Amino acid sequence: MSVLPQRGLLFSASASATGPKPTAPWRVRCLAVTTTRAPPASRPKPLSEAATTTSMPSTAPSFLDDPSSLKSTWSHRAWVACGCTTVFASLAKSALLAAESHSLPGPVLAGWVGYILADLGSGVYHWGIDNYGDASTPVVGAQIEAFQGHHRWPWTITRREFANNLHALARAVAFLVLPVDLLCDDAKVLGFVALFSGCIMFSQQFHAWAHGTKSRLPGAVVALQEAGILVSRAQHAAHHRTPYNNNYCIVSGAWNAFLDENKVFEALEMALFFRFGLRPRSWDEPSSEWTEDLIATASTRVDT
Amino acid sequence: MATLSLPCKHSLPSLLSPNNPKVQSSQASLQLPKSSRSQFHGLRISPLPSLAPSSSSVKSSIFAKVNKGQVPPSFTLKDQDGKPVNLSKFKGKPVVVYFYPADETPGCTKQACAFRDSYEKFKKAGAEVVGISGDDSSSHKAFAKKYRLPFTLLSDEGNKVRKEWGVPADLFGTLPGRQTYVLDKKGVVQLIYNNQFQPEKHIDETLKLLQSL
Repeated sequence: MSVLPQRGLLFSASASATGPKPTAPWRVRCLAVTTTRAPPASRPKPLSEAATTTSMPSTAPSFLDDPSSLKSTWSHRAWVACGCTTVFASLAKSALLAAESHSLPGPVLAGWVGYILADLGSGVYHWGIDNYGDASTPVVGAQIEAFQGHHRWPWTITRREFANNLHALARAVAFLVLPVDLLCDDAKVLGFVALFSGCIMFSQQFHAWAHGTKSRLPGAVVALQEAGILVSRAQHAAHHRTPYNNNYCIVSGAWNAFLDENKVFEALEMALFFRFGLRPRSWDEPSSEWTEDLIATASTRVDT
Repeated sequence: MATLSLPCKHSLPSLLSPNNPKVQSSQASLQLPKSSRSQFHGLRISPLPSLAPSSSSVKSSIFAKVNKGQVPPSFTLKDQDGKPVNLSKFKGKPVVVYFYPADETPGCTKQACAFRDSYEKFKKAGAEVVGISGDDSSSHKAFAKKYRLPFTLLSDEGNKVRKEWGVPADLFGTLPGRQTYVLDKKGVVQLIYNNQFQPEKHIDETLKLLQSL
């Protein structure tokens, strides 16, 4: 897996040239950087700050020149249909088998475990994609490029149509869950697979909702977010703020507090660094390609 | 917001368990007093009564090689300017020797900056601060310059001194350990503090001891 050069391109020391100042404000990498959870109301970085941290001029994402790239195609819809079919088949088969054996608690518990672990899985995958590799990485290169674009223009995910947003995950789910549906006759396993794969497949929708505004989201979605069943807008917003090294989970977000407080990803990053020499992106100031284009973001707020 | 309720922390994988002394590497896990905490959330190593420095116990020779109450083996390492520095240079004053994994990693940067921010307090206590990692002098020079570190960084290439002093590794040997020693004016170890993921605590613990010396 190739690694982008990660030395801070835009880092500027905050201490003055006259010597160390114990009370001077520190850049994120210098002083204790606490990972943020459920932060206070988010505020966009001042444009002056954006100017110092974004060396590239503001450019609208290319897909705004071609809005059709955000629309769903029949291919997208077909893959989402396949993914949903395999997930529902798994769920239905689990329910039937549970009913036949009169043992519902096991599959229900397995389903709940699937939901919980889907959140963890989404975080691990997201962390990996955000920190390692680039567009040329085999298999996941396109994903990395997509995440990079998402970090630069986070709001565009709210403009993607449903199937357009989900089809890549749906395709993977369809291929992986179909054999399980055909070969497995264990209600608990099927229950786990149904919830795990379903939550993974729909995680991009939960992610899109997490970028929405309260006034524009359905009431039910807001209620689920506020109940912690779906990842909250505040929690995910923290992921898009410096130091960009926390709140990676995007199903329910339930794992975020634990993973961040126990520095699990930091431990993994250190292990990968010392074992393989891989330096994660989050250790340095983000390059311009990964930094939010605040000017474009501000202009979309004006437009909307 | 619903949060994940995990089982009691003691049942978590040991590397993340804050209160399980067994999380310590084999080097000292059987030797820790019950009051010790894990190496990930603060660990003060104090010798058990049966392990006096002069003890010829096999365990002490296998596990922590430098214990509290001992004079650690001397060394000569290059500093960030490439000049050789011997530990005996600091005799006559307390010295804080902190081993850290590597320059330009998040925890090590936090720790170095924390030592820098409290450097005046260390000076007031008459102490010197010395950081040691396996990075070379040029890496130390860049690191010290970038974060304006006022203290000495030594290059322990090959981690020879780290092994001689018995600094335990973390994450099943994957990660060089983060361990700080406080030596008194006579060069005797008075504190050993280990904490990989809470680097700022090294400063608090060492200052606490220095103020009592």
